[in-house]
Amino acid sequence: MTGFLTPVLITLKLAAMTTVLLVIFSLPLAWWLATTRTRLRPLVEAVVALPLVLPPTVLGFYLLIFLSPESPLGAAWVRLTGETLTFSFSGLVVGSFLYSLPFAVQPLQTAFQSVGTGYMEAAATLGATRLDAFRSVALPLARRGVLTAAVLSFAHTLGEFGVVLMVGGNIPGKTRVLSIEVFSAVETLDYATAHLLSAGLLVFSFLVLSAVYILNRRDGAGR
Amino acid sequence: MTGQLEIDVTATLPGFTLELAERIPLAGITVITGPSGGGKTTLLRVIAGLEPAVRGTIRFDGADWSGLAPHRRGIGFVFQDVRLFPHMDVAANLAYGARRRGAGREMVAAVIEALDLGPLLHRAPQTLSGGEARRVALGRALAARPRLLVMDEPLTGLDRARKERLQPYIARAVADFGVPLLYVTHGEGEITYLADRVLTIAGGRAAGWQPPAPRLTGRVRAAGEGWIELERADAVLRVEGQGRVGEIWAIPLGRDLSLSTRDPGATSGVAVLEGRILGPEPGEGAPETRPHGLETGGERLTIPASWVPAPLRGVEGGGPVWLSLARIRARPLASA
Repeated sequence: MTGFLTPVLITLKLAAMTTVLLVIFSLPLAWWLATTRTRLRPLVEAVVALPLVLPPTVLGFYLLIFLSPESPLGAAWVRLTGETLTFSFSGLVVGSFLYSLPFAVQPLQTAFQSVGTGYMEAAATLGATRLDAFRSVALPLARRGVLTAAVLSFAHTLGEFGVVLMVGGNIPGKTRVLSIEVFSAVETLDYATAHLLSAGLLVFSFLVLSAVYILNRRDGAGR
Repeated sequence: MTGQLEIDVTATLPGFTLELAERIPLAGITVITGPSGGGKTTLLRVIAGLEPAVRGTIRFDGADWSGLAPHRRGIGFVFQDVRLFPHMDVAANLAYGARRRGAGREMVAAVIEALDLGPLLHRAPQTLSGGEARRVALGRALAARPRLLVMDEPLTGLDRARKERLQPYIARAVADFGVPLLYVTHGEGEITYLADRVLTIAGGRAAGWQPPAPRLTGRVRAAGEGWIELERADAVLRVEGQGRVGEIWAIPLGRDLSLSTRDPGATSGVAVLEGRILGPEPGEGAPETRPHGLETGGERLTIPASWVPAPLRGVEGGGPVWLSLARIRARPLASA
């Protein structure tokens, strides 16, 4: 049962990178979804929500196709980095990003919708550009949504299995994350390792989620 | 010469169209009134650039504002629902627009002084009373040194006493900072006290201009903490308010005034002035229903027929009257 530290580190690194990328990308997307009046909105919302309902194998299958060195994207990546997107850590980040997208976008969108346009209008009449008003008014008022989005993205990526297995395979030291380590351990009847990792993930996830709910509550009551 | 806000616009909202072509003088207080849902708020939002579906032109003192982004217009907007930023304290709210428009600390300090905001600076907006929050919202808009102030029913939801306590701050702000004000309300008391002119809007169209309430004027000859002495040709009146020697103040006349054909002697009110009904003004309709001229202390006013004592109503040449004021609510006039 030694050697499980590497999958844990890979998992944490994957979750951290995915979370940072997701929050950066989801802020403008969620703001747009919360404020746009275009008829395209439901379609974009549906696309964002797809990973919630699709089996991870389906998502993973298409990612495998689109990221493979034969695809334009995969080929470009190979030319750029000398590495394939499939069966690599970079590919895992792309897969995790898409798989956790709704967990980042939806809390942000809800938060921005509850901020509403009133404060943004007030900021505009006080001389703030749209970007300035977003940074100084909408974002601070939606901070609970930002926190929720980040934590859910992180926790969801930690617990990911199917997409990672499809896109990244099971390469020790490279793409073998915690959930796959648990799977491998069970397959080889190494229940001790499986117990340790599973319990670890369970406790960690519980603590993170509790922290979010407590923080959110305190934040809500303090003002 | 006074600048003008020239509006010639059609604004289309779901189920409502505002179609308006008016010139609004950029001086003093213009009250916009009319029935609910008539387009008053929409007009303010169009002027501020907050409505997207607007066709036509808006010119501010000659400058074309059509299509200009809201943050470039320099309008101080006091919203009906206040909209103080809940994540900032009062001081940060006041500084928000001032900093962005380069208004400087002196401007913020002047606003804090004029609106008595000092004790509130470190409070969170959520802890303010309704009246305090309105004062801060006015201060936040003023501190950004606006070229035009617009207020959308800013006293809605307050009781009468609070409304009357806040109105002098509004008049004071307009006089002190020299900023023209568009003020939406349907409160009779607010119109009487604040209006320099009144525009009625109904059904998305302008329904005409009315003059301000009849008013007496006087010059401040002495001022102290919370009081002034107003000098008129026929009397010196001591009035509540914060003013400076030399300012011209108006005493708008409304429900606090009663007219009698005899000297009432001592009254429970604060002042009795002598005057003369000059008879009905020229115009259409029966003489007893037309507005009448009133002369008092060298000033000539026009008052509704219903204010005239019955024996003098519609009588050519009129006759002497005594004006009893139950109380005096005066305000500074913006210097033109």
